[in-house]
Amino acid sequence: MLANVFTKTARDRWKSTVIAAVSLGCLLVFGMAAYNDVDVAFWDDFPEAFRTMFAIPEGADVGGLAYGAIYTGYGALTMAAVALAAGASVFAGEERKGTIGLLLGNPVSRTRTLMSQAGAIVSLCFAGSVILWVAGIGAPQMLNVDVGDMHITELVVMMFVIALFHGFLALAIAGWTGKPSLASGVATGVLVASFVGVGLFPIITGWENVAKVFPWYYFSSSQPALNGVDWGHFAVLAGSILALGALAVVGVNRRDLKSQSVGTKLIDRLRENPLTHRMAEMIAGTARVSRIWVKTASDHQALLFIVVVTIVFMSLWLGPMYNMLDDAMASLAEQFPERLLALFGGGDLSTAEGFFQIELFSLVIPIGLLAATISIGARAMAGEEERNTMGLLLASPIRRSTVVLQKTWTMVLFTVIIGIASFLGIAGGSVLGGLGMNMGNIAAACLMASLLGLLFGGLALALSGATGRTAIAVYGSVGIAVITFIANGFLTVNENTEAWARISPFYYLLATEPLVNGMDWLHGAGFLALFAVLFALAVFSFNRRDLRQTG
Amino acid sequence: MTDQTAIHTEGLTKHYGDVEALVDLDVDISAGEIFGFLGPNGAGKTTTIRTMLDEIRPTAGTATILGMDTHRQSVEIRKHIGYVPGDLAMYPNLTGRDTLTYFANLRGGVDWAYVDQLAERLDADLGKKVGDLSSGNRQKVGLIQAFMNRPDVLIMDEPSSGLDPLMQREFQAMMREVASNGATIFLSSHTLSEVQRVADRVGIIRHGRLIALEGVTSLRSKGMRKVDLSFDERVDAGVFAPLPGVRDVAVENHHVTLSFSGQMETLLKVVTERYHLLDISTQEADLEEIFLTYYRDGEEEVEG
Repeated sequence: MLANVFTKTARDRWKSTVIAAVSLGCLLVFGMAAYNDVDVAFWDDFPEAFRTMFAIPEGADVGGLAYGAIYTGYGALTMAAVALAAGASVFAGEERKGTIGLLLGNPVSRTRTLMSQAGAIVSLCFAGSVILWVAGIGAPQMLNVDVGDMHITELVVMMFVIALFHGFLALAIAGWTGKPSLASGVATGVLVASFVGVGLFPIITGWENVAKVFPWYYFSSSQPALNGVDWGHFAVLAGSILALGALAVVGVNRRDLKSQSVGTKLIDRLRENPLTHRMAEMIAGTARVSRIWVKTASDHQALLFIVVVTIVFMSLWLGPMYNMLDDAMASLAEQFPERLLALFGGGDLSTAEGFFQIELFSLVIPIGLLAATISIGARAMAGEEERNTMGLLLASPIRRSTVVLQKTWTMVLFTVIIGIASFLGIAGGSVLGGLGMNMGNIAAACLMASLLGLLFGGLALALSGATGRTAIAVYGSVGIAVITFIANGFLTVNENTEAWARISPFYYLLATEPLVNGMDWLHGAGFLALFAVLFALAVFSFNRRDLRQTG
Repeated sequence: MTDQTAIHTEGLTKHYGDVEALVDLDVDISAGEIFGFLGPNGAGKTTTIRTMLDEIRPTAGTATILGMDTHRQSVEIRKHIGYVPGDLAMYPNLTGRDTLTYFANLRGGVDWAYVDQLAERLDADLGKKVGDLSSGNRQKVGLIQAFMNRPDVLIMDEPSSGLDPLMQREFQAMMREVASNGATIFLSSHTLSEVQRVADRVGIIRHGRLIALEGVTSLRSKGMRKVDLSFDERVDAGVFAPLPGVRDVAVENHHVTLSFSGQMETLLKVVTERYHLLDISTQEADLEEIFLTYYRDGEEEVEG
């Protein structure tokens, strides 16, 4: 182990781990307080499939709900995401930044370097888990809540293992390819597919065993909060972690190190080929540098493509899917207490609208929209400043406000495209499944979701303009989005706190159910007005300050 | 400030918190002049340039370019300038030609025949992605970008970094050409030989303060000379070192080299009184020695 590589890796990444763990700890306290007032007698009738998904034990009291929803669900997902971001970026990230040559110019082997970085990831996951454990033990005592026979330590151990699994999965992919973005993309895909798959397959008769192919199964299905550690499942994950670690070591040793070079992509070959030159030129040629907003769109087109394809595919697939699950959903809906559903985004599961709201509008569409708008907004000014290109850009005879305006224009354009794609996808899904959903209401829900996306994009833009720091813009806007999303869930669970949910933008997409009730123009206008204010703030603050120069 | 003044600064000052990055800079640069701005890393060169470009705003003082205020009329100014930032960064995914097209579109009025001509002179490969270019080749794209709109004022921060000696010469020729056509060049550098070759005047900056502002010729002929003296016996360095205007004394047996500014007569008088002088040769000091001298003086002042 190389102490300084270990320390540097840990020092570079401790913030995200600690912020994530502390936020989750606070959410646990927050959630437990919200549930404290709710009558949870319905709990025993809760459908098993959903209990499995969130590992909520039968007969559990308030504590079970909070641990289940926050730790087993959001908590484990968040910690896994933090770990995989670290795994993807340690070794391959240094290659991308061009610092690996300097590091390996010292008498250290690739193996030892990678293992020191992997050791740092293990330590960070461990530190995060300790924070979660302290909060898990402390929260019920602080609020004087009886959590019954909860295995908090065992739950946190399993969270540690599943987070590490995803960290090492990303580490192995990055180790073999040297591509941090590919590694984080694939590992995130595995994480999401695995989480959804483990929730979904057990409720489809005949397909129950498919869930076992997903890593998440070995974390959640044994319900560690209730039953403690299932050592068989633990062994599967621990063995996989060791195997992935070994794979990563082999990967970094067998290949050439990547340089900072961009490399030739398919589109570049097409540009060079005389036959395809004209077509490729239209997509990636000089057209993309004609205006700032076009170039911004070109820079983010891969993200737009992924978001649109995911949303359209899921929307189309959900229509026929609802038909297949119709009966199951109806009985599920009967058992599901309405207030509890609020936690998952609300909606009446016995109707197609409610199903779409839970499956799409509570997570997939907002995530897709926010990913696009926040990504553009946060990088708008700060991204160019951090890459030191803003000075050159502003050496052209254009105003600073023009840069903000043009980049915002790309954000609006992407939002419109995703909004329309969502509408077409859901409308198509409704037709395919013969669900007869109201087209106007679908449009209303998509419009509200789009405006919500713009609102958070505007927040990222304002933070980017004011600080010139991408990290602040991304963490700030994503953080507020996550907190307000979860707050909307928790606050609407309890009658006494429901009024407070109105401060959350998600309230106007989920709790007010535009998919059922149609467009509320006042809410829409409110979102637009807030977006305009944030845009003005971005222009104002960016105009006033010194440009940042890094490096 | 006259009608012919291209760049004018008055009490230009920039503080970062307690750090004085630039203090009371007063400079007038005439149209058609090549102005060399010298100073070691962290002296305030880049801060000055970034202030003139309105990237950062002065704490006090003003600057004008072509008679226009660098903050209030910055957009109008930027129609007339070419800029090469220090630590040049561009968009790695774009080819050189895409990069130039992007900036040309933002600017308008770029003559592509001229761009091709510049690319040919600098032997630049515009078909490759910027991210795949070596730093020298990337720098060439940056230089073409600055020259391509035939600017009235060129502001360049360490423009020849990464260029090989042949390209540096070509670049110097380009600078002289555009200056002879009336363009003003503000050249920040620590490549002193380059500044010596092209600049009309130099400003030397230290710890944010301008400590010298003179024509290259007058600076060099200011009296600072390298003197070689040969004697018929071993000599003592202690005789030369205390003399006024003498520095950098090196003695090797019968031979002495020193830097000298002042009346040659005084030096010769003292020397010939003590020893028997066999031979003497003198030459003008180059900019590097002058620069080092200024800096050493400054440091001594600070220490003293």
